Amino acid sequence: MAYSEKVLDHYENPRNVGSLDKNDPSVATGMVGAPACGDVMKLQLKISADGIIEDAKFKTYGCGSAIASSSLVTEWVKGKTIAEAGEIKNTAIAEELALPPVKIHCSILAEDAIKAAIEDYKTKQGK
Amino acid sequence: MNYFQLFGIEASFDVDIQQLSSSYQTLQKSVHPDKFVHASEQDQRIAVQKSAHINDAYQTLKNPLLRAEYILIERGIDMPNEQHTFGDTSFLMHQMELREMLEDVKSSGDVDAALLEVQNVLSSEYLQLSQMMRAQIIENTAASNSAACDNLRKLKFYQKLNIEVDRLEDSLFDD
Repeated sequence: MAYSEKVLDHYENPRNVGSLDKNDPSVATGMVGAPACGDVMKLQLKISADGIIEDAKFKTYGCGSAIASSSLVTEWVKGKTIAEAGEIKNTAIAEELALPPVKIHCSILAEDAIKAAIEDYKTKQGK
Repeated sequence: MNYFQLFGIEASFDVDIQQLSSSYQTLQKSVHPDKFVHASEQDQRIAVQKSAHINDAYQTLKNPLLRAEYILIERGIDMPNEQHTFGDTSFLMHQMELREMLEDVKSSGDVDAALLEVQNVLSSEYLQLSQMMRAQIIENTAASNSAACDNLRKLKFYQKLNIEVDRLEDSLFDD
């Protein structure tokens, strides 16, 4: 199956790969996985006191589409508020990357990673 | 007729593979195309369909994870969709560590030892999870079946890792 140019671009030059300190109170970590393909995705967001996402890093073990979806998401969320980031839909990710139907779940995984990170942030802030 | 009935074996997670295989061969012989050379086109088609069904059933019962999934579905357990995101953070953190460990094998000073260590860790964790799942399937209560589902999903991550290990092993031998 051929990957779209945008997927290849993110796959070959992934943006924002890496890790942030998960113990930092301003860092939110979202971990998600897909049993069907064994993909594991970690998305970390550094969030300012006024709720703006200042930095985003990801690490994904999975297929090209999963890597591209998480790479794209790190670009999209930077500068957004957590509320705005929480509104990013998998359909937008899939559309941007021209994912074929069998790879839609990769974009769902990326959307769920944002939600998991926001959830983690709320838990951390609630402490 | 469920898959266990098809092969005339007990509906249990512990399958006697030898018994399963011999029953499979007997059944496949009974629908072998050679036997239907002079049969009508319709009978030939039915034989081909039966053969495919017997094969599906055999592949499912032979593989422990597929067998577990089949048993749980037969019990009417609502299996989460395959594509459904798995969100057990500590389990996934550990999965990521295992993948990092595997990634580091290539650059390790002693590649053979590093690979062996990964394989040992993976097989012991796989064994532990699969024994837990087996006990939960045998217990067969609502709570144990749902816990078995959870462990089955975890085991799938290990299954994927094992494929990666095999791939790495192949690439190391190629060098």
